Amino acid sequence: MPENRTKVFYFCAVFSIKMNEGDTSVAKYTLKRVITALFTLLAILLVLFILMQLMPGSPFNDEKLNEDQRAALYTKYGLDQPVTVQFIKYVGNMFRGDLGVSYNISKNTPISQLIQTRLPISISIGFYAVLIGAVLGLLLGLIAALKHNTIWDSLATVISVIGVSVPSYVFALALSYNFGFKLGWFPMLFSPNDIFKSSVLPSISLSMFTMASIARFTRSEMLEVLGSDYMLLAESKGISGFALIFRHALRNALIPIITVLAPLIVDLMTGSLVVEKIFAIPGVGSLLVNAIQSNDYNVVISLSFIYSAMYIIIMLVVDILYGIIDPRIRLAGKGGD
Amino acid sequence: MKRAKAVVALLMASAMLLGMTGCGSSDGNAVNTGTSAGDSAQADGSDVSGTASSSDLNIMLETPVESLDPQLATDGTSFEVIADYTDGLMQMDADGQAVEAVAERYEVSEDGLTYTFHIREDAVWSNGTPVTAADFVFAWQRAVDPAVASEYAYMLSDIGQIKNAAEIIAGEKDKSELGVTALDDSTLQVELNVPVSYFLSLMYFPTFYPVNEAFFNSCADTFATSPETTLSNGAFLLDAYEPAATTFHLTKNEDYYNADNVKLAGLNYQVIQDSQQALMSYQTGALDTTLVNGEQVDQVKDDPEFKTIGAGYLWYVSPNIAAVPELANLNVRLAFTMAINREAITGDVLKDGSLPTYTAVPMQFAAGPDGSDYSADQSRYSDVCAYDAAKAAEYWNAGLAELGIAELTLDMVVDADDAPQKVAQVLKEQWETTLPGLTVNLVVEPKKQRVEDMQNGNFQLGLTRWGPDYADPMTYLGMWITDNSNNYGLWSNAEYDAIIDECTTGDLCTDAKGRWARLYDAEKLVMDDAVIFPLYTQCNAEMLSSKVTGIEFHPVALNRVYKNAVKTE
Repeated sequence: MPENRTKVFYFCAVFSIKMNEGDTSVAKYTLKRVITALFTLLAILLVLFILMQLMPGSPFNDEKLNEDQRAALYTKYGLDQPVTVQFIKYVGNMFRGDLGVSYNISKNTPISQLIQTRLPISISIGFYAVLIGAVLGLLLGLIAALKHNTIWDSLATVISVIGVSVPSYVFALALSYNFGFKLGWFPMLFSPNDIFKSSVLPSISLSMFTMASIARFTRSEMLEVLGSDYMLLAESKGISGFALIFRHALRNALIPIITVLAPLIVDLMTGSLVVEKIFAIPGVGSLLVNAIQSNDYNVVISLSFIYSAMYIIIMLVVDILYGIIDPRIRLAGKGGD
Repeated sequence: MKRAKAVVALLMASAMLLGMTGCGSSDGNAVNTGTSAGDSAQADGSDVSGTASSSDLNIMLETPVESLDPQLATDGTSFEVIADYTDGLMQMDADGQAVEAVAERYEVSEDGLTYTFHIREDAVWSNGTPVTAADFVFAWQRAVDPAVASEYAYMLSDIGQIKNAAEIIAGEKDKSELGVTALDDSTLQVELNVPVSYFLSLMYFPTFYPVNEAFFNSCADTFATSPETTLSNGAFLLDAYEPAATTFHLTKNEDYYNADNVKLAGLNYQVIQDSQQALMSYQTGALDTTLVNGEQVDQVKDDPEFKTIGAGYLWYVSPNIAAVPELANLNVRLAFTMAINREAITGDVLKDGSLPTYTAVPMQFAAGPDGSDYSADQSRYSDVCAYDAAKAAEYWNAGLAELGIAELTLDMVVDADDAPQKVAQVLKEQWETTLPGLTVNLVVEPKKQRVEDMQNGNFQLGLTRWGPDYADPMTYLGMWITDNSNNYGLWSNAEYDAIIDECTTGDLCTDAKGRWARLYDAEKLVMDDAVIFPLYTQCNAEMLSSKVTGIEFHPVALNRVYKNAVKTE
């Protein structure tokens, strides 16, 4: 993890230097995006809250409850109050960092406590999956593009088709059976004693889709870029070999790839229900499904909100990255004025 | 040189991707706290490996614990874990009988209305304070406090008949007026409204477990959500746990008054929702016991470690007698129940050892005054319940004639879980084959929704189940009285209500044998009237390592008790 943090700092440092270079347009652009993101989040919260009210059933319909007990539970959790009062209270509490308590999947437990231990696990496994998927996918795509129409290209295509079409849980079951049960190399179940080793199989299962998608995109984007006029120009200027590929070709090919990667990151980091179930991972994916099934309103709202926030933050970062990678995007608005 | 540049460029490209994900994380507040919590979780993890030893028992759970607060918990998993580290006044022996635990002895007044429990001197909490009568008073007052809204409050009022409990739950009296008093530190007196023959057996039910008030207050709102916020007075201590955890650990409590007889070093729980992974983990030796689902039974049924264990649940179909005119017809209902081939359901579909059931009270959970199982005789009502296609068709035709119809289409609500859906499918086939002109449509719903629909009377037929809360047939028979919230079909019979009344609050309270006989009279009314179509008594198929002995399995309250278990190497 510390390694990761250094990279974050490095990135942020580079970013802030860029901003301080007197290039106020990046700052303005960023501010605009941040404000939009905040309003979007508030709107999402409102929608989530309304959806919860519309959901059929109540959190308290265990067969052992009678009318009086249900009424007592509604009073206890303030669900007997008008929806508007509930919403204002909820938003108020949220600003104080209080996400409320779980009604039934973990009775009376503050949701922040519930999420605190689970989110990092989902995020770390998702992170490994993204890392494996993105790096392998880029390599595979590059090889395929550079060795266009060779056996390497076909091999890369076959791997990507398999990766995209076979669901992650099939990989999970196959890996678990072979490397966990038969060979015993990795634990079959997630264990807090050995987080790294027990993350290997789930991360690989989850990375396959990302790897395949990135490989396909890298290949097609690279092929397009490689055939463009400016590549011809660069080549004619005498730039050649790796510099040509990485500085000129890959940089231009990255933009669409980042666009594809962003939602995949959110998907992976918010936990996969099936893979979490197979490896008994205490992540947030299974928590959300349990919460939805048992009408645990607060947990559903909190998790959905966190997902949305993560999505919006990553989209925001992507938008800003575009600006850095390709100034044309950030300046496009200006040009139109 | 060029190669070096290329490597740098590749690194830059990966750093960008990393930076992107990294920055995304560092921006989000929750994520930040999460990362540090992740580190501490790892630290906790190494603690676990420190305490886990070879003689820990490795137990598989299907669902996570919902609550470790004894007054809030409602599910079997939570009860089992709470009882691992908490003792009540009484405990269950291997046969399910109530025997002394924290109470070293007790007296019952002649009229059966006053119980006096004497608490043993060597019962201590894990923080060193003694277990006192006040701990029980505090806990029981919590259980009936409307502000706490305990779902099992009715165990004290309707079931336990503790004085003033019902009034406190209804908000009419203050919780301090509950009929339970600490006469001194070691003497607890309980006053009842009427004699309750099974009162002692309630004392091992976790709702009645003690809570230390000073400790509870010191935890503020976090009571029973971590090892630090739980106190043990039982055989084990909770030493690694997080809310809704998939793994957690308990270690032997050396201060337990009966510690000499606790042979296990600890309990290692693992929640596994995927049954195939669970079985494979068992086969690698990572688990000592695991549940097996119906599809896996064929794979393991010849293994000597394969066991089927009674779970107490009665599965039955409830017809909506009040709202569906066709189901108000007795002949139609009898046709339905007699067209069910229960052996086919348990033998061909479930295959987990579940027992076909022909009584309104399931088997193997309530023993009578002579010690025999209340429902041991399954032929008692066979004339109105046993599978007989010809007779069923006769009733069916008679029913249709009375109603003046030739065809009938009904919906049956079913839980969206695996086993109920399979059972419902077979029921549909059996009914439609045996009863000409009948069409049954299955309406599959999430369990919570199905229960709500049935409670609101919004159903025609419903496949449902009921687990016993205490070891007495009344936990089932009490449901069919007029206006009971679980009497989904709204059946009403004055004679039946009178018998139940007689057995709960009337003269028969103190006459165990007479009461038992009258309960059969009541059950006969339910069966003769086909108020429900009983299907089977649920059993769980399990694998249990031959190295392990002494786990006590019970269909009521505490499904698995480990304090007397032994694991040999």
